[in-house]
Amino acid sequence: MNAPTIGLIAVVIVFVVDIVLLLGLVVLKAFHRRRTERHELRRAAYVATLSRHLASNEQSDRIDEAAADDDAFIDAVIDLRNVVSGREIETLTGLVDGLGLVKRQEAKLRRRFPLGQRLRAAVSLAEIGDETTAPVLIEHISDREAEIRIQCARGLGRMQNTAGIDAILERLGIEDPWVRVRFADTLIGFGAKATWPLAAYIRVNLGHDENRGVIEAIRVLGTIGDREIGPILSGVLRVASDPEVQLAAIEALGFVGGPMAIPPLDHALRSSDWRLRAKAASALGHIGDPSVNRALAARLKDENWWVRRNSAAALGSLPGGDQVLLATMRSPEQPARDAAAETLADIGTLTAARQRDEAGVATEEDILLLEYVIAGDRILV
Amino acid sequence: MIHDILAWAGYATLVYFILMQLYMIGLGLRSGAVMRRIHHLNRFGRVSEMLSSYTSPPVTIVIPAYNEAAGIVASVRSMSIVGYPRFEIVVINDGSSDETLEELVEAFNLEQVRVPYRADIPTAPVRAIYRGRGTVDITVIDKENGGRADALNAGINAARYPYALCTDADVILDANCLVGAMRRVVEDRERTVAVGGNIRPLNGSRVQLGHLIRAEVPKRLVPRMQVLEYLRTFLATRPAWSQMEALPLISGAFGVWKRSAVVAVGGFTIGHMGEDMDLTMRMHRYHIDNKIPYRIVYEPSAVIWTEVPETLRVLKRQRIRWHRGLMTAVKDFLPMTFNPKYGRLGMITWAAMFLFEFLAPIIEIVGWITIPTALALGALNTTTLFVLLALAFGFGLFNSLVALLLDESYGHFNSKADTARLIVMALIENFGMRQITVAWRIRALIGGKITRAWGNMERKGVANLGVEG
Repeated sequence: MNAPTIGLIAVVIVFVVDIVLLLGLVVLKAFHRRRTERHELRRAAYVATLSRHLASNEQSDRIDEAAADDDAFIDAVIDLRNVVSGREIETLTGLVDGLGLVKRQEAKLRRRFPLGQRLRAAVSLAEIGDETTAPVLIEHISDREAEIRIQCARGLGRMQNTAGIDAILERLGIEDPWVRVRFADTLIGFGAKATWPLAAYIRVNLGHDENRGVIEAIRVLGTIGDREIGPILSGVLRVASDPEVQLAAIEALGFVGGPMAIPPLDHALRSSDWRLRAKAASALGHIGDPSVNRALAARLKDENWWVRRNSAAALGSLPGGDQVLLATMRSPEQPARDAAAETLADIGTLTAARQRDEAGVATEEDILLLEYVIAGDRILV
Repeated sequence: MIHDILAWAGYATLVYFILMQLYMIGLGLRSGAVMRRIHHLNRFGRVSEMLSSYTSPPVTIVIPAYNEAAGIVASVRSMSIVGYPRFEIVVINDGSSDETLEELVEAFNLEQVRVPYRADIPTAPVRAIYRGRGTVDITVIDKENGGRADALNAGINAARYPYALCTDADVILDANCLVGAMRRVVEDRERTVAVGGNIRPLNGSRVQLGHLIRAEVPKRLVPRMQVLEYLRTFLATRPAWSQMEALPLISGAFGVWKRSAVVAVGGFTIGHMGEDMDLTMRMHRYHIDNKIPYRIVYEPSAVIWTEVPETLRVLKRQRIRWHRGLMTAVKDFLPMTFNPKYGRLGMITWAAMFLFEFLAPIIEIVGWITIPTALALGALNTTTLFVLLALAFGFGLFNSLVALLLDESYGHFNSKADTARLIVMALIENFGMRQITVAWRIRALIGGKITRAWGNMERKGVANLGVEG
């Protein structure tokens, strides 16, 4: 076969492929909108039918079994599942069970592919599954597909299935970051139920080479905000050698709050690591106890910019903190004045000073602040 | 002798052409697989959960503005309601000679403040800093003119959050673009230093109060051609580059950058005509040379809409500028080209950028000269010429159709008129438009005054979009 013949064959192949793609595109474009519209119409029809069932508890409009494989029906069930309550949930669950919807979705989840159907099944089970579904979700919490693991955890969280907490914690340290944070969000949804399993997890795993799971668990505890956990977080802060763990513990203490959180944070405020000092300043601001104002005021002269800034911001949120910041404006140290001025601008003291100045009732502190802010052509360092 | 030279030139061009097409087809197919997966994940994955998640890292939106008085307020308002839990907006007034600053002060109740400004990256002098007193968390840096790169550097300096979305004043952000992009950061917070977004032409679409109401294909040929180009670039190429973790370019109109990493490499290069490509490549080089684990990725669901040139005159300026930027980058990063130390970036994507972007106009112009000569001298028969031209057309059409199919994930452009316009464009763009683009790139290679000017984009502005004409 000579070169021109090969070339002509190549041309024919390329053009045939182009024509196939072109036809595919035209068909897809033509059906895209119609498909979406039909889906929405079916969904609305299913919502209406299901609503009638829930209202009268009569099954006059029989729902075809094939509906259990229809995405529009699943969407309609999810829609209703999120708005009904009490006996209506039981009726809806009965309907769904009668059609074998959950079982079918479980079977789809167990398949190896296609990804779209497996994901759809995982989302459906997460939304409409009941306690009988929990074992399947726990089984797939170690699925090879990250998004399916996330959906399974979400489903367990929605069911508040306590066995699910241990299943999620088992994988917390080995998951990739995206799944880990989604698992963390699910654990937060468990609320106080997850507090002690998380504390146990931290105790067992703290100090291991890989602290990723521990850090996430500490953050979750902080967000749940159960004050009983304060001593455990203080203990973590005291014994941990990994600064990332210490930072997470400081942040969590700030969220948990309470009088027991203050001494370890006050200690961290004097750490040799600027990151711990800066984080501790923010955490103290978050707790809102004015007894730390003096300690924070001392940090306005810190050598590190972040520590000064966070300390000033913390003072800005504490009762009486604005007075400490205004007093700092008389400090001979410019970095401290800069940090204080920034926060005073952020919390509205500067605006108030301007307004009082315009009204002719400015105080000595107002004048001091205004003069500092508008001094010179180049106001920046 | 001349026959032999022409024959060899022909063979070399053919081999080059086949390699380029194979590369493009490979990228298109790989992108298709990536996009299909992303489509499923976005459909079912509930990325929106990030909106209420405490794990979403805060972001600073950095907007450089030079003489943007007409549209800056609408732009900032549009960006201020982007769906994301925690973000601030930093606008840099880059020495505008119009009322840009005054418009901002008035609209957002700005107040001049004295705050510590960390000049981590040197910039032109900053005159003043303003903070918003209204509902929008906005800071305005008023500085002397230093160009877009300098303004972005000032914005990076002023950013209070660890990630900065560097964008333009004349774009419209999709409601979920920041969530989409930041999802990639959360996936691997330690390694992710930059995330690029999917930029789409806005011309011809319906816009109201700075928001996209409905995407439509422009009626004018020049922006319509660019719709196809952008789809090919952002849907059929970058997903594959990103999956290889060898993305050589994060486009300037939408890039989320890790602040500390930008500071570590010294920020955007002032005066560079392709400052986005330059920063992306320097990021790669810095992390590989220093053996720091990192990744630079692209997220197709992070969509932003931007105005593209409406006329050939403006498009010419833009393309010349882009090619000059590429030329500078090729020169600066020549040691990385075909260098195995830089992995897939050095051996595949940047090497391909050198071969199929930088060299393409040169090879094509050689073809324009040799093919007619060879035909005239009888060194090339008409069958061979037909085969070459037909293959060029067929492959070009293939790449456009793959991009249009991939765009189906988004569900835009479904009216009969839009479909017809896109298909007609895919068929005709090889006859004239492509050749004009090559000529501009050759013009960029030659140099001269026009190639050194940044040029005015002559935009309508987000606030005035929505009507063609």
